[in-house]
Amino acid sequence: MSSAGRSNAGGWLRGSAIRKGTSSNNASRSLTPQVHSTSSTVFGGGVKDPSGRTSEFFSMDDQCPVCKSDRYLNPKLRLLVSSCYHKMCESCIDRLFTLGPAPCPICNKILRKLAFIPQTFEDLSVEKEVSVRRRIAKEFNKRREDFPILRVYNDYLEMVEDITFNLINDIDIPETEARIAAYRKENAALTELNTQRDQAYVQALKEQEEAEKRERQLRADELRRAEEEERDARENERRELIDSLERSDADAARLVRRSRADALKRAAARTAAASQAVQQSSAMLLRNRAAQSSTVPDVPHVPLQDDWYAYDDKYTMRETYVDPASEAVRRDREGIMRAGGYRVEEAWERALRSAVAGLEVTPLVGLEPS
Amino acid sequence: MAVEQVPSTPVDAANDTLSKRPLYEGSTQYQHWRFSPEQLHKTREVLNTDAIAAIRSTFEADSPGSSSDIQFLTYEEEILLVKLYVTKITQLCGHFRFPEEVEATAISYLKRFYLKNTVMDWHPKNVMLTALFLATKTTNHPISLEAYTSNIPRTAPSDVLDLEFLVAQSLAFEFAVWHVHRALWGIWLDAQDLPIPVPPERLQQAYDSALQYVGTSRITDAEFLFTPSQIALACLSLADHDLALRWATAKGVEANMETIEKVAIMVTRDGVVPSVEVVREIDRRLRLCKNPEKVVGSKAYIAKLAKVEREAEVKRARKAEEIRKAMEDGDPFGSELNDGARVIADLDEDD
Repeated sequence: MSSAGRSNAGGWLRGSAIRKGTSSNNASRSLTPQVHSTSSTVFGGGVKDPSGRTSEFFSMDDQCPVCKSDRYLNPKLRLLVSSCYHKMCESCIDRLFTLGPAPCPICNKILRKLAFIPQTFEDLSVEKEVSVRRRIAKEFNKRREDFPILRVYNDYLEMVEDITFNLINDIDIPETEARIAAYRKENAALTELNTQRDQAYVQALKEQEEAEKRERQLRADELRRAEEEERDARENERRELIDSLERSDADAARLVRRSRADALKRAAARTAAASQAVQQSSAMLLRNRAAQSSTVPDVPHVPLQDDWYAYDDKYTMRETYVDPASEAVRRDREGIMRAGGYRVEEAWERALRSAVAGLEVTPLVGLEPS
Repeated sequence: MAVEQVPSTPVDAANDTLSKRPLYEGSTQYQHWRFSPEQLHKTREVLNTDAIAAIRSTFEADSPGSSSDIQFLTYEEEILLVKLYVTKITQLCGHFRFPEEVEATAISYLKRFYLKNTVMDWHPKNVMLTALFLATKTTNHPISLEAYTSNIPRTAPSDVLDLEFLVAQSLAFEFAVWHVHRALWGIWLDAQDLPIPVPPERLQQAYDSALQYVGTSRITDAEFLFTPSQIALACLSLADHDLALRWATAKGVEANMETIEKVAIMVTRDGVVPSVEVVREIDRRLRLCKNPEKVVGSKAYIAKLAKVEREAEVKRARKAEEIRKAMEDGDPFGSELNDGARVIADLDEDD
């Protein structure tokens, strides 16, 4: 919307046909490369937002360093970044590189038209670092499992970081590239395997998400259907009630009462069934998620590890005892005298246990510590 | 007792009994408050001699030669004094209508306290009040401190509270006590289930009279030598020997009746309240040989207070100096991490 407004305003200001401006813009877009660059040497910084689009960096102070045209003069100015990380506007790119590879006007590096990428970060050094890291991550994708000991893995990570640092800061570029090439040759199979693994993992995640979405949809449908059924049922009940009021000569008030009670019962049954269904499906969802994410075994918690012998074979509890001391408590059916959970049987059991506890312990003799 | 493990077969039960530790042997009463008669004797004797040596040196420090004519208490005399105050606890509990559990617990606390402290340092008339107050709390029969002290003549709340931590510390914070009266209750309940039934009147009579003996047993050292169930059975055998024997036979412990006899003899022999005249004489001598550092207003007491105050002053000065130094360094929280250890050491006592 806003871009249309802007182009309108520009057209009006310039007094030229609006159509022409838009079409030229479209044409230049189709001519200049988009995010999907085919070049393997340039990796766009291109941080994607959740919807999967790359949001381009855009500023009112943009100015093409080559032709010096700025956003004030050309509102549709779009700056792209070369593989040597210099900005140029689309028209300059068209002008300079349409006829084939040409040197960069700033650093004289040979550039190709297809190797320009949109800018995502204001700071081009960040842009560079992100793209370098992305490239390196693709090349060096070994995992911890690929190494016998942690030490070797750490050394490997250190090497990767060295290479990355060199590339970002333009230190010993040819030598570093040679190292990368050598590594690629040595580890082609493993790299390929890990790439496939990553892809499979991403795929699995996507499938899982799909399944969950479908499940949710299903649940919503279920709920909607249940609601409809309920509405129908209520309608039916009402109709039946009116019919029975018409036909029978029983007491009207009683009929109404009975039908109301029936309706309540049915509604309760319905809601119970519905909530159970919802619970089941959400429980299943949770289980799936847990099964997927948890690698730590869930060992049941045992609060008390000690294993005591509580003299259980030494006594047998009777149903009841002659016990004047607890008689008042036992007669007290409302539980006024006892705290919550008090059972006189437990007091008896404690006494019985105490009566047989340590009966056979021999008393200590002598000065030796026990 | 939430643990409910019913062994499935007798064989299982036998195995369980072998592999598991009996519940009573896990109690602190079994582990830390169980002695042989010789150990008990030795403990008290050593405690007594050490206390006398310490008090004598305090007297000497005050004025040399002053301790030569003081008759210090022997440990037997200390026991007599404690015994008298054990009976005082019983009276107080009757006055407050405390349940038997409170009484028994308080008495155990008092007796255990005097296995770690001497009468010449802490007079039982104060310790008794604290032990009883502590027992009301640990047995879940709480009473407010004001209600407690206002019912006891010439007692202020601070008298009770000042000793509370000392008593708890001497008990090693082991407040749980396995009681004889509960074991006796259990025996009485279980005796209703004997193979050859006993007439309820006879049971009741035996129980009532055995309860009297349980009260008597609290005056003795039985709880340090024997288990509560053994003492309970001994009390029952004193009340009704035949009944006790039948119950022991039903439980298969008739071989242990020898031990039970020993307990019974001890209860009848030692369960005598010392006569007031004897104790009054001991108390009169105690007034002379009391640790002067513990007598409010005495020279040694003031000296001790001054000493404590001096130490605290030194500590305060050191702390102030440290803080001043830290402020000079520019960081009010100190500059180096290794200062931390000393600061924490300072914190432990008075902060």
